[in-house]
Amino acid sequence: MNPPRPPALLYLLLRRFTLRHWRSAPRTTALQIFILALGIAVFFSIRLANRAAVASFQNFTGLLTQQSDWQISAPAGELPVGTLEEIRTALGGEPVEILPVVETSGTRPPENLDEHIGAREQFSLLGIDLVAVQNIASAGGNDQDWFTQEPGEGKVGTGNDFWGLLRKTNTVFVSSALAQKNHLHVGDRFRIVIDENIAPLEIAGVIPMSPGRPAPPENLLVFDLPVLQRLAHREGRLNRIEFIVPDGADLNGRRQTLKEKLASLSHDRWQILSPDDRRAAAETMTRAFRLNLTILSLIGLLVGLYLIFQSLDGAVVRRREEIGILRSLGVTEKSIRRAWLLEATLLGFMGGIFGALIGWGGAQLAVQLVGRTVNALYFATTARSAHLDTGEFFVAIALAVGASLVAGWWPARQAAKIPPAQMLSRVAENQEPVTVFQSAPVAIALLLLAVVLTLLPPLRFSGALRFPLGGYAAALAVIFGGGLLCGRWLRMLGKYLHFAGNYSVSARLAAGHLAKSSSRHRMAAAGLLCAVTMAAGMIILVDSFEVTMRGWIDHTFQADLYISSGGAQSASSDSRISPVTWRAIVADPAIAEASVMQSAAIQIKGLSTMLVGVDLAFSRHYNNLTWLQPPLDEKIFTDDLPENYGLISESFSDRFRVRRGDLIAIPTPAGEKNITLAGVFSDYGNERGSLVIPRRRFAQWFGDERATSLILMTQTNLVPEEVQQEISVKYPGLSILTNRHLRSEILRIFRQTFSVTYALEFIGIAVAVIGLGMTLSSILLDRRTELTTLRALGFRRDELALATAVEGALLALSGVLTGIMASLCLGWILIYVINKQSFGWTLQFSIPWLALTELGALVVVAGTLAAYLVGRRGSNLAADHEE
Amino acid sequence: MEYSVLTVDRLTKSYGDRLILRSVSLTIAPGERVALVGPSGCGKTTLLNCLGGVDRPDGGKILLDRTDITGLSSDELAALRREQIGTIFQFFHLLPTLTAFENVELPLQLLNIPLRERRERVEKLLARVKLSHRAAAFPGQLSGGEMQRVAIARALANRPALLLADEPTGNLDSANGENILNLLAEISDESQAALLMVTHSTEAARICHRVIHMLDGVITGETSPA
Repeated sequence: MNPPRPPALLYLLLRRFTLRHWRSAPRTTALQIFILALGIAVFFSIRLANRAAVASFQNFTGLLTQQSDWQISAPAGELPVGTLEEIRTALGGEPVEILPVVETSGTRPPENLDEHIGAREQFSLLGIDLVAVQNIASAGGNDQDWFTQEPGEGKVGTGNDFWGLLRKTNTVFVSSALAQKNHLHVGDRFRIVIDENIAPLEIAGVIPMSPGRPAPPENLLVFDLPVLQRLAHREGRLNRIEFIVPDGADLNGRRQTLKEKLASLSHDRWQILSPDDRRAAAETMTRAFRLNLTILSLIGLLVGLYLIFQSLDGAVVRRREEIGILRSLGVTEKSIRRAWLLEATLLGFMGGIFGALIGWGGAQLAVQLVGRTVNALYFATTARSAHLDTGEFFVAIALAVGASLVAGWWPARQAAKIPPAQMLSRVAENQEPVTVFQSAPVAIALLLLAVVLTLLPPLRFSGALRFPLGGYAAALAVIFGGGLLCGRWLRMLGKYLHFAGNYSVSARLAAGHLAKSSSRHRMAAAGLLCAVTMAAGMIILVDSFEVTMRGWIDHTFQADLYISSGGAQSASSDSRISPVTWRAIVADPAIAEASVMQSAAIQIKGLSTMLVGVDLAFSRHYNNLTWLQPPLDEKIFTDDLPENYGLISESFSDRFRVRRGDLIAIPTPAGEKNITLAGVFSDYGNERGSLVIPRRRFAQWFGDERATSLILMTQTNLVPEEVQQEISVKYPGLSILTNRHLRSEILRIFRQTFSVTYALEFIGIAVAVIGLGMTLSSILLDRRTELTTLRALGFRRDELALATAVEGALLALSGVLTGIMASLCLGWILIYVINKQSFGWTLQFSIPWLALTELGALVVVAGTLAAYLVGRRGSNLAADHEE
Repeated sequence: MEYSVLTVDRLTKSYGDRLILRSVSLTIAPGERVALVGPSGCGKTTLLNCLGGVDRPDGGKILLDRTDITGLSSDELAALRREQIGTIFQFFHLLPTLTAFENVELPLQLLNIPLRERRERVEKLLARVKLSHRAAAFPGQLSGGEMQRVAIARALANRPALLLADEPTGNLDSANGENILNLLAEISDESQAALLMVTHSTEAARICHRVIHMLDGVITGETSPA
């Protein structure tokens, strides 16, 4: 008789063993799946949120017409409107649709002076040639119509007075979602802040939906081009020009020809990008931030892996007799190994499904948190929700199965390798399957390896992305090394606390068990250590960041008032203050001194960075730059030097690999300029880096005097709050912050940026505490004979529960103590290796002992409580109770 | 020369520095029942484990049906156990997640016996050990005697040439032990399977044709049962 083929045998082992064990211990199985699901959910929700935040950086014109083939934009500043005519003439009668675009942002008007930055509803404003858009739609057989919509439920509509509509001032099209949400109708009016003005807008209609394209985001407002140019003070300027090649024969050839023609006309005055290039640029901009968040989100998964490993390893111990019998009946090693891997796969599969669903829910929350950070630091994102698609769903399942297989590999190997005679031997019952994971030399080797890994330089990829591989590997080595040492602590704790047995019988039991702790004890403590190390490491990083930020804020922000456009609510905002306004403010008798700041995004070596024009004399007077490499000559603070000097931020220096004394070429509307870098300063405001030049030179090169912000010193005899009040009455569209308010806002935004990390840390700790409970539960099952004996001897339930609680407390204490020690190493790696290599920021190392103590106490209390509850339940176990 | 199901030739086995089996040799003919007796720690169970292919000797040969099993790979040993050996343990070692019926059925499933035939054979085996009425019970619901009877049925399921029994009555009361021994004798006669039974008890050895005595890893002699 031929033996059954491997699949049939595997099915038999699955049906008769694995699934029956699951059925006999449904809660344990459910908990295993839940833990894995939670780990996956955390990772998955961050992944979905990241994708949503980046995906929302979209080409809005692509939502209104068809996706453009090419778009051109200035490498610095804006395109003069003359470019449009020049290109039209050069292209002659070629069948190409040309769409000039102005894009900016606006907000609801401010309600009070003390509001939070970013608290107001923000809008993306798109100015586009609506006649051209309508023509493109008609030519493409698209029945969308901007001008003949019928009013309907939840929609606004317009009449069909095409020219009448365009002649009207301040008309705007709103999204269907906004109309529904705010019950808006045609002719309704509302006000938004554009630059420093509060503009009254009249609703002309709803943005029509294009078949096959996503609905426009809720906060998109579409204007006819001249309307927005006027409202945003961009007469004669364009943000970009888009080109659409009509469908037909040799489409790709015609696209390429168009690109070549545009390139030949450019003479470096513009860059030619495809929509994908633009999206890729947005992705590149946030890649380091997203990568760090993603890696942080792996805390839960890593802790989950520990627990799945521990759980499967424990199951091998519990089922060793069964495995021995199967082996004695002729089941091969390979079949046993496959059966365990199949069990791990199934756990992973189910964990993946639940994890994806929980993660999808979590992503709806995470997208708000991630979106806020992206908005504050990188670009305006409209992400409100995260979508789950089939591909992502399978990614989650694949990750869960992969993780579960990694965790299950060792137990599967152990299950298959242990000789059946040993498995069947009662003497060998308590033998530990895991040995390599208890080795102190391996732990020390890992810690030494971590030291070496921190010396590795980052990997550099396109888009100036720096990936601190050595830093991350060192962090893992510290966590695993700490995990191995943790078991040693455990036995020491058990031994040293043995004396407590003289006073409490529960303590004697607990100390005795820990003194001879099993691999499961060690794995549970290592799981806790993993969570505590990562959470405490992040606490150290955040505290160091905050301490550094506070020092930087104290040094940098010394002025009384800070003014910016009320429409500027995010890092990417290009809202400006007109020269008329800022000159009037600066000339106000209440103002003693002022510094005007101008800025523009520019492209250097294909990467976006900020060019900033400031009054250098003001900076020198107030010494408001924190120097890493100070200028060697004070003359650079003089505005009217013939040479071009610039100061760079640390991120700029790191990103473009330049230092003090280097020369760098930058694009400006007045042509390429060479700048000698005179000094390097700290700047924690953006990771793209800044190049600071004298403001007058900026204005001269850009032909623009609009200010990004004003920094004001009030007369010493005046109260800044009163001056703030006075200016806000005159200019209600400006955002005016006092020094105190700005400082508190910066710190608030800073903390908000880390709010996701707090949530991730909490979940990691929760998973570890649940794991501790699981471990103790499984250990108690193994001790059921002992429990029966103890009860027969007269132990009360609460005494048994207390013994388990003490055991859990000591386990947690061991994980916490070792974890906090390891976190000091991890914090150092995060600050001096990972952060420095990813973002180029130098931070001051600070250890928040109080916060670390609170974290430790929280984990020990939670662990003790979980252990007590498990102990209460376990104390009822009968001797013959199965899993 | 008379055919032997099992030939053991100068078998040695040690754990670390401790020599457990010292040049053990024996033969067993088909249908023969041999008792292996000796004090605790004399190497009986180790010998049984080596014969069953669940432990590997350090030296010597084990010929099972003329095949030297000492050189077999782990998978080949597994196949051998599956097809030619039945094992009965002192502590029954029934699989707790399987019913009595399923425990007996398991070796047949490992041999890929078709469902109908499998069921018929299991029913017959359970009837033979007088447990048809307990087929659906899990091990936890069976008495010690019943568990050992199920274990015997399971050991016989693959129609082995060699039955290895490690203290089959060691965990039973005397009445149940007596029943089990009688059952083993009957079954051995019926199936013509050779039986090697490790036991402490001379009472248990009475059902055997020969009694081999072991002491400190050496076969010290052979007697007839009392």
